[in-house]
Amino acid sequence: MLGLGIESTAHTFSCAIIKKNGKKGKILSDVRKIYRPDEGEGIHPREASRHHIENSSLVLSDCLKEANVSIKDLDIVSYAAGPGLGPCLRVGAVVARSLASFYKIPIYPVNHAIGHIELGKLLTGATNPLVLLVSGGHTMLLAFLNKQWRVFGETLDITLGQLLDQFGRSIGFASPCGKNIEELANSSSNYVTLPYSVKGNDVSFSGLLSATKSVATKSKVDACYSLQETAFAMISEAVERALSFTRKKELMIVGGVAANKRLSAMLKDVCKRHNCKFFVVPLQYAGDCGSQICWTGLLESQVKQGAELKDTFVTQSWRLDSVKVNY
Amino acid sequence: MKLLKKGAEADLYQTKWQDSKAILKIRKIKKYRNSSLDSKIRKQRTIKESQMLSHVKSFGVPTPLVYFVNLDKTSIIMQEIPGKPVHDLPPSQIIDLSKEIGRLVGTLHKNGVMHGDLTTSNFILFQKTVYVIDFGLSQISIKPEDHAVDLRLIKEILNSAHAKIMMSSWKNFLNGYKSIVGHAYFTQITKLVSDIESRGRYAQVV
Repeated sequence: MLGLGIESTAHTFSCAIIKKNGKKGKILSDVRKIYRPDEGEGIHPREASRHHIENSSLVLSDCLKEANVSIKDLDIVSYAAGPGLGPCLRVGAVVARSLASFYKIPIYPVNHAIGHIELGKLLTGATNPLVLLVSGGHTMLLAFLNKQWRVFGETLDITLGQLLDQFGRSIGFASPCGKNIEELANSSSNYVTLPYSVKGNDVSFSGLLSATKSVATKSKVDACYSLQETAFAMISEAVERALSFTRKKELMIVGGVAANKRLSAMLKDVCKRHNCKFFVVPLQYAGDCGSQICWTGLLESQVKQGAELKDTFVTQSWRLDSVKVNY
Repeated sequence: MKLLKKGAEADLYQTKWQDSKAILKIRKIKKYRNSSLDSKIRKQRTIKESQMLSHVKSFGVPTPLVYFVNLDKTSIIMQEIPGKPVHDLPPSQIIDLSKEIGRLVGTLHKNGVMHGDLTTSNFILFQKTVYVIDFGLSQISIKPEDHAVDLRLIKEILNSAHAKIMMSSWKNFLNGYKSIVGHAYFTQITKLVSDIESRGRYAQVV
């Protein structure tokens, strides 16, 4: 089976084609264009959606070319229907609907967050993991139970990605800032005490953000180092708590912040302590991409007919623990 | 010493204290954590836990007795409660016990204590008594917001680990809780729980 997936929830407009054979999937192409705001600024939904509109046809045709596939060969088309920024989501949905209605291809609205998890499972081979989803939109600990992903811990306010981005922007980076912060953090080892807020399996980052901003007025590198140490230690502790509570023997990290090496190193240590296998999604597929949407759509097509066009809305707030998973 | 459990933040060993069976709880160094942050957290929680285990007894919440605290090793020796964590009991029993758990949490809150880690693994049933353990994240607090965070956590745990019995056990929990804190405070706290949930990511905005 051949699927096309379209991702446009935030910064990234991406199309990908995956060939599915039983439980295996092969990514034939995954083309992306990423909207970059000016330095010190965050994503502007209108500008991002304009970027997506301008780039959508090029990304789509490159993606087909690279996979050596014509639109008529496609069995299904899936798009990210949420959660995300409304104006951005609509671009992907419009492209998907146009293809589906003109070429009569079944269409599948997909939850973006589930996409991160399913693609992670495909690429890492994890079978029954505790999932840590860390990105700009999510900070959640999840485990699969009774046909749904259940939340065992999450952030009570902003996400880890937002924490890094909002802090990064305050010292002049353009988001996503994770990489810049990681580089600066590597040049310090001077820990400044910052608020550490773990509430059971949940974490809260907003106090940490304000406190780090004030440390940055004295030293940017110390602030970056201490921010990473504190925030990642909080996440690691929440992971430990969830691991010991759920007794899972696998941990998988997915989402944009999974690319951070310090976070991986800490979580690897956690896994060693709990005799637990550690999986991290390959760097190239950690961030938002069409593949995650495509693969989830292909999985859904095993048990569901394509959606009616009138049901192909986008939903800005669509929690992944409300999605029934029947495949 | 026999290792009983490798918990999230501490290891539990079986030991003896003056001829009776006891539990040694050690918060070991976590290498992944920055060392000054790590020792601060371990020390703080050891103090907090040992104080709170004794303090909450004074208003009738069953907890293990604290025998000995070693701050340098961040360890506590306490009474062994040889029962079963509520988490591991059959679903029907969890539903029944939820009311008692609600009462216990209500009693803690009424006396100005927030537990901070309300999971079904932290309640142990032994000879018809439910014991509360694991006070490492607890705080002396009369702030309604803190109490609401407690309730939200146990709700999250019921909703995930015990999804099939969530509705009935949450209802029982709330009834038990209400019977202790009274109607007015109950209404205030449940309202705050919804507030916290609505601040969560992608929460259903009603």
